[in-house]
Amino acid sequence: MTAARLLENIEEVSEMKLNYKLLPEGDVKGSKVPVSIAFVDYHDVVACGITMKRACDAIAAQISGPGAIHMFDMDAVTTNSDGIMIPGSMTCMAACDYGRIDPEFGFTELMEVPHDEQLIREEPHLRQWDINFPGHRLILGPDPDNKPLPVHNAVISGRSCTNNSATEVMNCVTMDEMLLFITGQMEVMKGKDILWGKTGEVISVGIGMLVGEEYGRIVPHRQYICGDTGHKSGVYAKYLKNKLPCLAAPKRVLAEHIILALKAGMIPGRHVGPSPAVLTVAKYMGYEIDCDNITPGAYLELGDVGIQEEWVRTPMAPISEEEFLARVEELLPGTEHGTLYPASELTEARSVEV
Amino acid sequence: MFMMHTKLPSFIQQLKNAALRHGKEVPCEIKGLENLETAKVQSARTGRLEREIEELSQTPGVLRLEVRILPRVPETLHTVVIKVLGEDGKPIKAVLDTVGIIHPGVDCYLEGCPEVDDRRPPVGKH
Repeated sequence: MTAARLLENIEEVSEMKLNYKLLPEGDVKGSKVPVSIAFVDYHDVVACGITMKRACDAIAAQISGPGAIHMFDMDAVTTNSDGIMIPGSMTCMAACDYGRIDPEFGFTELMEVPHDEQLIREEPHLRQWDINFPGHRLILGPDPDNKPLPVHNAVISGRSCTNNSATEVMNCVTMDEMLLFITGQMEVMKGKDILWGKTGEVISVGIGMLVGEEYGRIVPHRQYICGDTGHKSGVYAKYLKNKLPCLAAPKRVLAEHIILALKAGMIPGRHVGPSPAVLTVAKYMGYEIDCDNITPGAYLELGDVGIQEEWVRTPMAPISEEEFLARVEELLPGTEHGTLYPASELTEARSVEV
Repeated sequence: MFMMHTKLPSFIQQLKNAALRHGKEVPCEIKGLENLETAKVQSARTGRLEREIEELSQTPGVLRLEVRILPRVPETLHTVVIKVLGEDGKPIKAVLDTVGIIHPGVDCYLEGCPEVDDRRPPVGKH
């Protein structure tokens, strides 16, 4: 084979198409999306034989305005902010603007957590890993000692920022923001239905019921204590993030993730955070709640959105999983003004040659 | 150590003067320091900036210069002082806390610029 033919073959191989989905910036079904968001499958990137960074660079070149690039390994697992383990995880995130990723602050990989018995003892919500997802990679936040920005788990390029390990995007100039819950992003990746709405006061309080994680997606080095509120904002907590557009999973999907965690022995307030959604599922289905480990500050914020300490402490007759799931829209508090859309109605199918 | 850092008003004036050094009326606007009441500015870097401003003031077609100063790392962590003041402005009590601020990245200030000569050292090697 001649050198010219060899080169031609290499070019043929290098011209592979990487598919991704794009949620475009602007008005989408009545919500303002602050930056375009690309959803990419890590295994597609591996199949193309390129690095995650190169894939992000190629996608960034197709987005002229502010954008975020979120890449997922659907075979990995991660944790929600309240410690509920979720199948699927981000593998990297990038912020881009004007077609490029800031070389210093625009990209980071997220860290695969080593399976370590000591770590699991110290962070007991990680017991879900071996019980529900044995053998799967656990990926949480970026390496806390080697991340591009000093405070948050964020990346920034030009106007665009994606924060909290790819669950919160914002336009730094217009100052618009949007939350993308992991559970919702997984449904986008799977091409299923998305709950498209506003965060509301329950979500604003709920996202503050954090667990401490050494390699946390939100904050590293176990800065939060399970049972307490990370917000510590009292009556102001419900207003912190209550008016943002958000992308969520249908309530039934969220409930199923929580039920799986509770079946694995997770106790709200002790192992997983006492978010309104977690407490509601546990309460109706009769799972134990560590009422005494939930702090007065957390009860204050919860009570402000209708989860009263007295209700949490008062025994009630449990209902079955089937009944709870049948009544999930009525029972599970969460997003406001939500409408279900197929992911394909919100996102565009795109591809880029790599 | 007087020479190691330049007084803020001097810094601003020195940059403006550098644009005039070749006898042309090149206005030079300094943006991004409006919030600083008092500060000392790295002297060695001040000299480099003066030299660069002088250099750019001679660019063919130049009518004015704009100097924008923004955080090198686009997320900054700030101390917040919440102070109680009483009669005659006398402090009674203060609470200290922090707040993180995310800033637009540098590309926001380069839009449409056909030539960018990035002379910044890497973060940590300043």
